[in-house]
Amino acid sequence: MSNDKVVKVALIGNPNTGKTSLFNQLTGLKQKVGNYPGITVDKKQGFCKLNDTIKAEIIDLPGTYSINPTSLDETLVLDTLLNEKKNSFPDVIIVVVEIENIKRNLLLFTQIKDLKIPTILVINMIDQMKRKGIAIDVKQLEEKLNTKIVLASARKNVGIEELKEVILNYKKLDTSSIAKITDRIDEDYFTKLKNAFPEFPLYKSWLLITQNKEFNFLSDEQRKLVLKFREDLGCIKRYQHKETILRYQIINDVLKESFKVDKSKATDLRGILDRILTHKIFGYVIFALILLFIFQGIFDWATYPMDLIDGAFASLSSWVKTVLPPGTFTNLIAEGIVPGIGGVVIFIPQIAILFTFISILEETGYMSRVVFLMDKIMRKFGMSGKSVIPLISGTACAIPAIMASRNIENWKERLITILVIPFTTCSARLPVYAILIALIIPDKRVLGILNLQGLTMMALYLLGFTAAIFSAILLNKVLKIEGKSLFIIEMPNYKIPSLKNIFYEVVEKTKAFIFGAGKIILAISIVLWFLASNGSSKFKNAEETVIAQIESTQLSKKELQKKVASYKLEHSYIGYMGKSIEPIIKPMGYDWKIGIALISSFAAREVFVGALATIYNVDNDSENTGTIKQRLAAEVNPETGEKRFNFPTGVSLLLFYAFAMQCVGTLAIVKRETNSWKWPILQLSGMGVLAYVVSSIAYYILS
Amino acid sequence: MQDILTYIALGLAIGFLVKKYFFKSKKKGKCDSDCGCN
Repeated sequence: MSNDKVVKVALIGNPNTGKTSLFNQLTGLKQKVGNYPGITVDKKQGFCKLNDTIKAEIIDLPGTYSINPTSLDETLVLDTLLNEKKNSFPDVIIVVVEIENIKRNLLLFTQIKDLKIPTILVINMIDQMKRKGIAIDVKQLEEKLNTKIVLASARKNVGIEELKEVILNYKKLDTSSIAKITDRIDEDYFTKLKNAFPEFPLYKSWLLITQNKEFNFLSDEQRKLVLKFREDLGCIKRYQHKETILRYQIINDVLKESFKVDKSKATDLRGILDRILTHKIFGYVIFALILLFIFQGIFDWATYPMDLIDGAFASLSSWVKTVLPPGTFTNLIAEGIVPGIGGVVIFIPQIAILFTFISILEETGYMSRVVFLMDKIMRKFGMSGKSVIPLISGTACAIPAIMASRNIENWKERLITILVIPFTTCSARLPVYAILIALIIPDKRVLGILNLQGLTMMALYLLGFTAAIFSAILLNKVLKIEGKSLFIIEMPNYKIPSLKNIFYEVVEKTKAFIFGAGKIILAISIVLWFLASNGSSKFKNAEETVIAQIESTQLSKKELQKKVASYKLEHSYIGYMGKSIEPIIKPMGYDWKIGIALISSFAAREVFVGALATIYNVDNDSENTGTIKQRLAAEVNPETGEKRFNFPTGVSLLLFYAFAMQCVGTLAIVKRETNSWKWPILQLSGMGVLAYVVSSIAYYILS
Repeated sequence: MQDILTYIALGLAIGFLVKKYFFKSKKKGKCDSDCGCN
């Protein structure tokens, strides 16, 4: 295989034309997803065997409506097609159009065809033809478009072999242009342009001068010429309009004879469904019910596999301790590495369930209706309709939610969404909230029905959403990022979801999480374990010191072990770190022990309960929550003689965890998605300052 | 022996984090000039 000849194929098309299904059919599991250098737009590449000696390297370019870019994704398509020196410059292009939206989809095809790169036209979703009453004269269409057409249904694996055959013979494809812009717009102007860049096809030269960006692959002389042509901007704009009109005239002429739609033969439910799903009242009600179902799934169904994973890793830790000889490395494996890997793997069910639902909503075509429905509301806050799903997903976990924001085309809206997602109450905050609420809020009923503790929990969820919305408004005013925010959303046909596409999507997202954020979480777990398991000479002599201290007291072996563990923690490196930050956290009402829990939970919020459990000599066992509660409730502040976890400290801690960015995994994902440390640092410091100020004020007022 | 292995694991973890936080990974192959990575 390694000596095979490789044909580079670029897959291009409007969004929702079934491009990804075609990519999946062509490449199967022989695909990889990465980022384009310098930006974070998904780069999908895969291989497809054409015959015994030739294979195709397929690059799935982001969906685009036109070759004139309005978003990061579309800029990338243009960059790939204009720079012949680029590694990814294709030998042949496949333009995918959808049978029902062929007229609009063909605009992109005519533009690409004029670049004089061998181009194949794939008309996808032909299985819908009969139902929609559509008839095509393929031969006539091929003649008029000077290309080879393949009729396909990617989801049903129809036309794939024929397409491979056409790719194999790509050198025989006609590369003549379609739109004669020279004769039909302004002959003098375009002749001058053609003479200025004789080495390029005319349409490529036209694109070079119409785009407001620098092309580094041009020579100095060519750049000067480009700038000279750009001086007459009015002329360029006028001719661009004429070009679009000309292209649609050509498309209309081409389709007039070769593409017929007989509505009387159509059996379409789409109109009725659209009216219901985008209705100004029912639309929102249906969406709310679907969300309720999704969260039921994420919280309830994920619990079983998560418990299994948790139990399996706990058993693995114990097994490691029994099998390996005792020592520090065994402890590192059993207490650091295994729980560290477990801390990554445990999120897989939530991520898989969430992305299964998102994929189903996308595959059925419902997601486009949701985006349309929500866009008006979200736009007021500087976000887009497409921000809705990531924001709601954030209540499960910010990591997949941030990954889900990739389909927001506008960079500013996407960035704002990424920056505010961590305010939404994720599931890792739940154990923290649960124990603190149980400590400071009485278990009473309001109006005889509503549980006060439950209401507090709901208030914290609302607080998270409110913080996200206000931050978005602020960021929208502060961030000076330019970008055209056009809201074009394709309303695709309703479809039965393809299990294959859902499977690939879930596998891809899960892999991205495990190998992206997972490595960082594991590394931090090792460092935290080391800091908590080592310390000064006092740490090393903990057992002797504790035995000497409690000489007269009768303690069981288990109680003695807990006392030693507590003493060790106090004199471990992380214990010293807790003490060193005590003056800083004092205004919030915390002592060094809470400080340790804060530092430990910097890796992940849920560590807070485990750290407190260790500090207060209690086993970290969910069944013993009552014991943790009792111990925390009994803890006394030696300075005031009052309870350590009183109402002011408890509220302060709740507010701290509501606003602070205590999650390394999220920071790692934000770094990966924005390709810069600037944004995660801004997020960390902004949320940290907000949490510190709000918690301190709350503590000051309440105490 | 166990101590040595522990310090190796710790060193690898710290090295990985330092590399991740402070050094940009070098891109393999040719870096195209017009995609924002220069």
